[in-house]
Amino acid sequence: MVKPKIPVDLLLASLAEDAEKAQFRAQKASDVLLEPLDTQIAATPYEVVYQEDRVKLKHYRPVTETRFNAPLLVVYALINRETMLDLQPGRSVVQTFQRAGIDLYMVDWGYPTRKDKFLTIDDHVNGYIDGCVDFIRQRHNEAKINLMGICMGGTFCVIYSALHPEKIKNLVTTVTPTNFDTDQGLLHIWMKNLHVDRMVDTLGNMPGDMMNFGFLLLNPARLMIDKYVGFVENMDNKSFVENFVRMEKWIFDSPDVPGETFRQFAKDMYQKNLLIKNELVIGGKRVDLKNLTMPLLNIYGKFDHLVPPGACDRLTKVVGSTDAEDLCLETGHIGIYVSGKCQKEFAPKIVRWLKKRDAEEEVPSAREQAAMPAA
Amino acid sequence: MDDKQHVRSNHESLLEAWLKASADFWGTAVRVMPGQSGAFGGKEAADKASKGRVQESLDSTVRTWKAFATVMTEPSAVEGMIKGIGAVPEVLAKILQPAWQGFFHLQEDFLERASRIGKSTAAYNFENLDQEAFKAWLEVYEKEFKKFLQVPQLGLLRVYQERLTEATDKFNVFQATMAEFVSLLYLPMERSYKVMQEKLGALASEGKLPENSKEYYRMWIKVLEGHYMTLFKSPEYVQEMAKTIDAMGEFNEARQRILEDILQFLPVPTQKDMDDLYKELYIMKKRIKDLEKKQTSAEPLDEG
Repeated sequence: MVKPKIPVDLLLASLAEDAEKAQFRAQKASDVLLEPLDTQIAATPYEVVYQEDRVKLKHYRPVTETRFNAPLLVVYALINRETMLDLQPGRSVVQTFQRAGIDLYMVDWGYPTRKDKFLTIDDHVNGYIDGCVDFIRQRHNEAKINLMGICMGGTFCVIYSALHPEKIKNLVTTVTPTNFDTDQGLLHIWMKNLHVDRMVDTLGNMPGDMMNFGFLLLNPARLMIDKYVGFVENMDNKSFVENFVRMEKWIFDSPDVPGETFRQFAKDMYQKNLLIKNELVIGGKRVDLKNLTMPLLNIYGKFDHLVPPGACDRLTKVVGSTDAEDLCLETGHIGIYVSGKCQKEFAPKIVRWLKKRDAEEEVPSAREQAAMPAA
Repeated sequence: MDDKQHVRSNHESLLEAWLKASADFWGTAVRVMPGQSGAFGGKEAADKASKGRVQESLDSTVRTWKAFATVMTEPSAVEGMIKGIGAVPEVLAKILQPAWQGFFHLQEDFLERASRIGKSTAAYNFENLDQEAFKAWLEVYEKEFKKFLQVPQLGLLRVYQERLTEATDKFNVFQATMAEFVSLLYLPMERSYKVMQEKLGALASEGKLPENSKEYYRMWIKVLEGHYMTLFKSPEYVQEMAKTIDAMGEFNEARQRILEDILQFLPVPTQKDMDDLYKELYIMKKRIKDLEKKQTSAEPLDEG
């Protein structure tokens, strides 16, 4: 029998089967959606130990006896929330660090309001981050602490470490853009052509909703259609629904970005690319990446469409440190934190890297001695 | 001629009689007013009221009217009035004619401007007519209609009027650019359908059509994703996006100015007032922090 070119019968059979499955799935889905769902994010207990204006410093105590000498401060981006690091049990970078015995601190940038529109990068870096670092140093009586930055938070950490190298023992940057002169990502192409001044003068702070829409536009086919088709196909699976809702909660929880910070970041970074050229001036001081003499671990995602590899991989080549390492993971911007596979690779790698450098004792320089907190 | 003269003299005597009767009426009316006679309030009350301002102006008006009516009863005056009344239709026609001509001219002008939309779109490819329609409208608007909103305003409230027209202008531009941007975003959808049709046609002729219905969706979503990537990287899209954001910003600014004008009449602070206050607070906080830092670093020296 000759096989028909258009297998109408098979197509119809497949459609009928799919319709039957869809009906069964819809029945089960209504049970799943109507029963209590565990969709809480950032459930790991913490303590707010320091606050300045809207910015809070959260402390997660280690859950094992083993402790690192130096505490770790994690600085997230101003876009979205740091709760992504503690999305759910089993996919929590926070819990991985806690189990490893790290004394973990995390900056919570809060929700900027109109009164925050005048805050600049200097205010965030030399103001809030410096305040948190000094607090931790004093609390632990340590001259230096470990610093880890994520995305735009990583950029802030790079700037901070270059301006205050005497306070940082080890620096970890993850999906951190430092070179903005690349066309690998759509964001880099778009930001170069935006008239930022008009936007900030008109809107004040950059609305979180507007940025969310912009991020969705980066790939509307996948992020606005395919994602929800996938949800419909799996909405009878309680675990899937819970994880999906957690992700939705996080992804659309977007604070506004202070206007002047946005203006400066867009112009000095995206449009002029001053950081990697050592021409960026923050608080009246030039940011010289050669001052990054502490060990540096730079992690980025190969398929990151927001911060492509081209935006990350130049950093280790321009710093003054002799212990600088790149780690490129086969994942995207968010997958690096939430994918099951990367959970086994990413956070443990950071723990091992920090542990190795935590045991090494250094003779503090004169500058470092001067920066030691008063006992 | 005799008939006309007869009619005329009838009109004249009628008018004369009317004028005389109205003069007598108002004269009598004034006399029987409460202020004029002592019948209601006595002589003293009448004297008081007669000194009232309203009464005085009424008296003056009636006297003037009586004098006028007396003059008008003269034959020469009556004849002049009749001639004037006869000329009214002619005068009206002379006034109205330019007004009508002006109105029709404006209407003609408007229709001519509107017809230029058709001429502009004819210059573009038929294939791209949908896309280019927005560009054409914006072009016509900028050239032909925008100037009406930029006519200088006059009077005490001219500043507010100008802001209103400016906001209207910015709104129109924003609407047009937004429509063009949205239509651009829809293009990949349209093209993905066309590509799918071609693909399915090719697969059908080769006998390689997928049997699973989900495969068709996966094919389409991949094609759609590819089209969006191509669009988003294009300079045209980037320019259009930047233009739309600029138009939105300009409209927001113009709208904000109007809101501030309205709010200044209400007992609430405007956004500008609050921003100025926030700026002052921000500067003060920075100075205090700097002073605190200087004090902290200076303290050990003091103690030493």
